[in-house]
Amino acid sequence: MDWDRRTFVKFAVGAVLGVHASPLIPKFMDDTAIWTQNWNWVPVPEDGAVAYAKTVNPHTGTGAMAKLIDGRVEGLRAIRVEGNPDHPLSRGGVVPADASALQLLYNNETRVAKPLLRNRATGVMTQITWPQALDLVGGNLAELAQKGQAHQAAALGTDPSSTTGQMLMRLMQALGSPNVAFTPTPRETMALAGLFMTGQPFLGFDLANANFIVSFGTPLLEGFGAPVAVRKAFAGWRGYPKNQAYLVQIEPRASVTASQADQWIACKPGSEGAVALAMCRIMIEEGVYDRAVESAYGWNDVDGMMGFKSYLMKSIDRAKVASLAGVSLPKLVKMTLAFAKADRAVAVCGPGNSGDPGRLYDFMSVLALNALKGNLGKPGGVVAQQPLPLKSLGGALPEPKQPPLAGSDRPFSVNNVHDLAEAALAGKPYGLKTLILCGGNFVFNGPQANLMHDLARKTPFVVAITPYMDESAAMADLVLPSTHWLEGWGDSTTSFGSPVACYGLHRPLVKAVAEAKDAGDTLLALAQRLGGPAAAALPYKNLAEALAKRSQAMGDFKKLAETSYWAQKRPAYGQMRFNTPSGRLELFSRTLRQLVSKGAGGGQDLDKAVRALGVKGGAQAAFLPHWEEPAAYAEGAAYPLIMQAAPSLRTTWGDEAITPYMVKILPDTVLANADKLVVEMNPATARDLHLYAGDMVLVESSAGSLTAKLTLYAGAAPGMVFVPLGLGHQAFGFQVAKKGMNFNRAVKVTSDPMSGMPIWELTGVSVKKVRG
Amino acid sequence: MVIDVDKCTGCGACSVACMSENNVGVLEDETEKIRSITWLRVYQIDNGKAFPETEVAFFPRPCMHCQGGASGSPGQAFFQEDTDPQEAHTPCVSVCPAIATDYDDATGIVSQITSRCIGCRYCVAACPYHARYFNWYDVPWPQGTPRGLSPFVSPRMRGVVEKCTFCYPRLQRAKNKAFLGGGKVGEMDYQTACTEACPSGAITFGQLQNPAHKVHKLIQSEFAFRLLEKMGTNPKVYYMSKRKWVRMMADNHLSQAKATQAAASGGHK
Repeated sequence: MDWDRRTFVKFAVGAVLGVHASPLIPKFMDDTAIWTQNWNWVPVPEDGAVAYAKTVNPHTGTGAMAKLIDGRVEGLRAIRVEGNPDHPLSRGGVVPADASALQLLYNNETRVAKPLLRNRATGVMTQITWPQALDLVGGNLAELAQKGQAHQAAALGTDPSSTTGQMLMRLMQALGSPNVAFTPTPRETMALAGLFMTGQPFLGFDLANANFIVSFGTPLLEGFGAPVAVRKAFAGWRGYPKNQAYLVQIEPRASVTASQADQWIACKPGSEGAVALAMCRIMIEEGVYDRAVESAYGWNDVDGMMGFKSYLMKSIDRAKVASLAGVSLPKLVKMTLAFAKADRAVAVCGPGNSGDPGRLYDFMSVLALNALKGNLGKPGGVVAQQPLPLKSLGGALPEPKQPPLAGSDRPFSVNNVHDLAEAALAGKPYGLKTLILCGGNFVFNGPQANLMHDLARKTPFVVAITPYMDESAAMADLVLPSTHWLEGWGDSTTSFGSPVACYGLHRPLVKAVAEAKDAGDTLLALAQRLGGPAAAALPYKNLAEALAKRSQAMGDFKKLAETSYWAQKRPAYGQMRFNTPSGRLELFSRTLRQLVSKGAGGGQDLDKAVRALGVKGGAQAAFLPHWEEPAAYAEGAAYPLIMQAAPSLRTTWGDEAITPYMVKILPDTVLANADKLVVEMNPATARDLHLYAGDMVLVESSAGSLTAKLTLYAGAAPGMVFVPLGLGHQAFGFQVAKKGMNFNRAVKVTSDPMSGMPIWELTGVSVKKVRG
Repeated sequence: MVIDVDKCTGCGACSVACMSENNVGVLEDETEKIRSITWLRVYQIDNGKAFPETEVAFFPRPCMHCQGGASGSPGQAFFQEDTDPQEAHTPCVSVCPAIATDYDDATGIVSQITSRCIGCRYCVAACPYHARYFNWYDVPWPQGTPRGLSPFVSPRMRGVVEKCTFCYPRLQRAKNKAFLGGGKVGEMDYQTACTEACPSGAITFGQLQNPAHKVHKLIQSEFAFRLLEKMGTNPKVYYMSKRKWVRMMADNHLSQAKATQAAASGGHK
């Protein structure tokens, strides 16, 4: 065939028609759209088979479900953390820290992949192998033990009830060191208050079944116990057209809890305990209390010492307390009568807004108020948790010969990181040579961050066992990588305030990053390296084996790991058992008196001993629930304002760091202008100080300072400044680091009278305008 | 969707769950809120009163999935298409030159097809709820973080607009599952990530017109209202609150007198 003009035209027309009839054009257009948008720096997540695995976030106590994907190239990976609807307490809900947990898990820039050794002089980190690392720590500890200086090694952990915490205790004890301390939490304060008054250390609030709740300055909705469980109870209190329960919040700031409460009673900071006692007195005067309380030990005077009733009548005048706390007396009386009348009312104490463990006498006052209401052991009242059926990791170990750094001057001691740091830095009675930081990021979390920073700087050898390259790791001589909770084994015990006991177990769901080990496994390896009593104290192959032994009573371990939790079925209702010396409820604590008088004689000596423990009221008040002025009131004219934290689930929960997503959702009343922390003040207070919204201010306490931008908030109590918690990291990557300042660097930690627990709810500060 | 403002504690779990479901990125500076992408943003409002009468409330704000049309109550012709074409429009859909966003009559969802978006930002300007966000920057994924991304939602590129889709991929998966199982998509088969995550159960999700669904009952309540109803956008997101000042603030069009009158006659509708 010739290629004449006609053929050519026919062919061209045919080709054009053909191309149009084919899917080539739309296909090509579509592909162009895809190709042009397929930029190589936009990630393409790999697809694969989906599976869900149950677990528990040990930091929040939330029952979680990890959504896993098994990809052909990338292998098994987690793509989401959701709530576990089967978990009895959290029932499918999550908090931001749970939902964004993967951002801490998958970030090569912030995870520690291999053991690192830091050169103190240059700050340069070099990678070493695990055997080398274990030799370093083991050699150091063995040398100290050999020289009889084992007590100069200390270990800090987050949770003494977890299996890793137990291992840490056993390891140090076997080594001969009494210095193991943990993050102070309200669980300890509650245990003390419970033991002293009821003989039960594990008390909880049956919030879900209560229909009248009075919360004494505790951030129920910003962080209390297991945050999701509290929210589930809260959801049950609300309803249309009428609420199912009446919530009263007593605190100085229009917080979330105060706003969501049916009634907010704005009181002066630190006066919550006094209000609780005033309520007790009102109930007695109005005759609206449970008469059973009259049979309690210490209702009337005992052994020539004042009983609870006499104390109330003598020292708690309702009008005086109302004016001291700055609340309206008629409102308080009306609320108290409603509380007394309600069929399932409960008074709640807990951590302060600044996240401190709470004041012992405030807790005791709130317990006394509950006793007057007669709700102990009743639905919607205060109930005793069943102790978790956990086995011990081994037999008792010999007590170390040296006295511990912290708490040896107290009749009963709760070893906490703050007291240990304070004593070690003062060298009283001795200093530290080796410090093991097992999680917790203490250099950031404090409680008084400056102090922990100094401790890490001044101790010759610091070891950090941590999943992240955090502030503590940055100061350590040796960093040992540990697993994230989605990668490794671990457990968590009942959260503060829970009415039922609940145990959480988490297991490896995804492959651990590089050479990270479970913190427990690291401790076991260390025990093996040390040999002798240390190895004998921890005879386990790995953490999983120790967990299996400890949780034996909860049934098959494999099954338990898959369900991820064990929980007490229902709260223990019925007559509360009082394991006190008198066998009754003790409003005057005989246990406490026995403990204190063991060291001191009677009479004058007892009074002196009690005053030495910081109880201003002396022996007459020391064994009763009573109120004392917080230390921050007496800071003097140099620090005229009171600083308190404004907690939020968006900034922090527990010892884990804030995540990038949590930073992203912070409003500009918390973080502004890229990196400025924002603090709140009442407009009237700002006016008095000649400050305006947007000013940069220096908030200074006797322990530290922070600079921040000022915002005016009508809901802030006058004379106070409120600071967001959990910001100001120097680590955790560009999305988190260098944003805001750390509240814990400005707080002044004081010692709670009697219990000696560190408290930092209120700090006296001055606020000055600065340039910036 | 119905959001109970009285149950919302502003914790942000919904917002974070949404971001992890939908592969939203995090920039170095997220304080510049106008460029910070949060499909579901939790706004805080307060009653403006002095201490100690101050009170705050939180408004989680997803995309409102406006239907447009005449405003009215659910009992009236609320969900019907308005016959006047000038009246009936979803603000963002009517301005999109690229058909990258559309209102689906069957589901009531306003879609967003990012691969079609040409980045003109008309829709961002048109949205009265600030629910739409433009990707001003490439997301700087820190090394390793893409491992945690979900394959069910494509990460977006710079230069396109994105917004809440009521977790549309979840609906697609639920539909597939129902098709294979031979059943229908039930109320609990399709729930958004924020609904699941909310620890206080403040968010309820379902079909507004289906009498068997919880949301259908909830929106009949005298305490239910929507944001800026005066504009006739006819949103699919309802809020509930017993507090009058909260309801007032949700629609600043209402005068005090009108709100009182509405409350007296059985609520603000």
